[in-house]
Amino acid sequence: MTTSRWQSLETRLVAASIVFALLIAFVFAVLILSVSQLRSATAREARAKDRTVAALELEKLVLDMETGARGLVITGRERLLQPWTAARRQLPHGLAVFEERFADSPQRPQAETLDRLITAYVRDYSVPLVDLARHQPAAARIPLATVEGKHRLDAIRTRFSALLNAENRFAATSAASARSRSQSAITGAIAGLAMSALLIVGFGVYLARAIARPLREAAAGASRLAEGDLSTRLAQSGPGEVGDLTRSFNDMAQKLQSNRLELEEQNERLRESERLKAELVSIVSHELRTPLSSILGFTELLLRRTVDEPTRRSYLEIVVAQSQRLATLLNDFLDAQQAEEGQLHLAEEPIDMATILREQSRVFVGQSDRHEIRLDVDEPLPMRGDSSRMAQVVANLLSNAIKYSPQGGLVEVAGERTAGDVRIRVRDHGLGIPEDEQPRIFTKFFRGGAAASGISGTGLGLAISREIVEAHGGGIGFSSTPGSGSTFWLELPADANGDAAEHTATKGDT
Amino acid sequence: MKRSLVLALAALCAALLIPGAPVASTTLKGPGVIRITSRETNFTRVDTGAVGRSPGDMEISRLQLYNTRIRQRPIGHGQLVCIYTGDNLRNCDGTFVLPAGKLVVSGGLVYRSLYDLAVIGGTGLYSNVRGTLVVTRVRQKAPPGDVLVFRLVVS
Repeated sequence: MTTSRWQSLETRLVAASIVFALLIAFVFAVLILSVSQLRSATAREARAKDRTVAALELEKLVLDMETGARGLVITGRERLLQPWTAARRQLPHGLAVFEERFADSPQRPQAETLDRLITAYVRDYSVPLVDLARHQPAAARIPLATVEGKHRLDAIRTRFSALLNAENRFAATSAASARSRSQSAITGAIAGLAMSALLIVGFGVYLARAIARPLREAAAGASRLAEGDLSTRLAQSGPGEVGDLTRSFNDMAQKLQSNRLELEEQNERLRESERLKAELVSIVSHELRTPLSSILGFTELLLRRTVDEPTRRSYLEIVVAQSQRLATLLNDFLDAQQAEEGQLHLAEEPIDMATILREQSRVFVGQSDRHEIRLDVDEPLPMRGDSSRMAQVVANLLSNAIKYSPQGGLVEVAGERTAGDVRIRVRDHGLGIPEDEQPRIFTKFFRGGAAASGISGTGLGLAISREIVEAHGGGIGFSSTPGSGSTFWLELPADANGDAAEHTATKGDT
Repeated sequence: MKRSLVLALAALCAALLIPGAPVASTTLKGPGVIRITSRETNFTRVDTGAVGRSPGDMEISRLQLYNTRIRQRPIGHGQLVCIYTGDNLRNCDGTFVLPAGKLVVSGGLVYRSLYDLAVIGGTGLYSNVRGTLVVTRVRQKAPPGDVLVFRLVVS
């Protein structure tokens, strides 16, 4: 399972980077805006102060003019007119600065009024008064001159006062606005920085948890894997490609573990095979040597000695029997080989297992005078299969029952038909099978303690029997009590037509 | 066309001569200040008593009134009749004819360079006013020029 494009780590990182960039851009935009507004408010405040200064300077010029003119009027001394002269000289510039400063001010109308009042004061009052004081001092000293001057000056000062109050309020408002903007800028910057820091820390934690930690765990897991701990697995965590990595790692570890188990099993099988081969060589050499020795011995006797006819015949019968034993042995090997290669060819024909049981029981009755074979078959046991192979199976079971009952005794052979099956049972009362050997008795060449007990055999009989029975769609099993004997059973699918008896039924009971 | 437009503008400005006075108003609604200038067009001294300046002599001044902020031509005219009462003192009565009405002044003065008179009434827009007139001479050479400041209150 791979991660979709939108769930991939790359997409997430790109998306997170874009979010960060936008956030930081937003924070900086807010900061720039706040700083711009702060600068604007500060500039407004500075202009308000400049206007105030211009107004105060202009007012001072007017007062200087009034003071100078009054000094001249009262004393008649030209020297006292110096402030008036200086102020009058500076007045045009002062008025120009005043007008310029208030050009964009909310108090511009009041400033223009003041401008008119001052101009009128100078033109209509102050200059004529000074002229009058110079040429007609007594006329300049009349109370009207003082009253008119005071009247005009009061009007100007009142206007100045109102203007300065308004400007002060404006400057205070601008200062407050500047402070507010400054506070907002600082608050915005702190909030933005805090948010950015939190997001960066969060992103770092996310990277550490989502990427660094899974990668660290993957590295540790890889080390453990390299050291041979194939049971290592990683927690299925992490987004996108990291999750894919952990899943791939676990899949790899799972496959490595499976392969290792398989290799171990193969190795075990190889070791077992080697052991069995060694055992086979031993068995074969032993099983072949015995009949070959008999054949060689009796044929040499026949060649070297002159024996009478009965003895010669007896020797030849032994040679034939041992030759048949050799042939059987070789047939078993061939059967085992065919079964292993899957080339066990079976005929499929109606057969009667009851007949086969009777025939084989009859064969084995004559082979041992210490055993009694009791056959319990009351009905035909029809099935479809290879009669010679099934006879081989029954013969193998009977042979084993006799071989593993060295003291002799009863061998019971029973056959019955159950629901859809033919069930066959061969029971002996011999040695039984040790419990530790029971799981392996169908293994090729396995003979357990039989070899040591001197019981002949190749260890192939049961393995071949199981192959044959399973090839017929049936099953084979056993139950055994060491020291009390064993019971082997076969379960084979019955032939529903039930006409097998007609084809293979033979000649009577044992 | 251009001439009629100029006349219309002049009429409008004349109506606005008095600051704060609504155009449609028939009387002044509140205090106001009128600043105009004057140029003396005629000055006549009548020696009615003993030869030389003596009580009873008369000075008659005729003036043209200007408001140069509005237009350069006269906006009205005035006359001031003063009678010497002795020691350079004169008692004067005057009438100033303005576009919106007449203003009548009266009072004593010593120096023509700087004096004040009482505004005792008027006609037209100024029918309900009183106040003061302060006159400052700003041009000594002939023809003399004065600045007239009427400070009016509604009576």
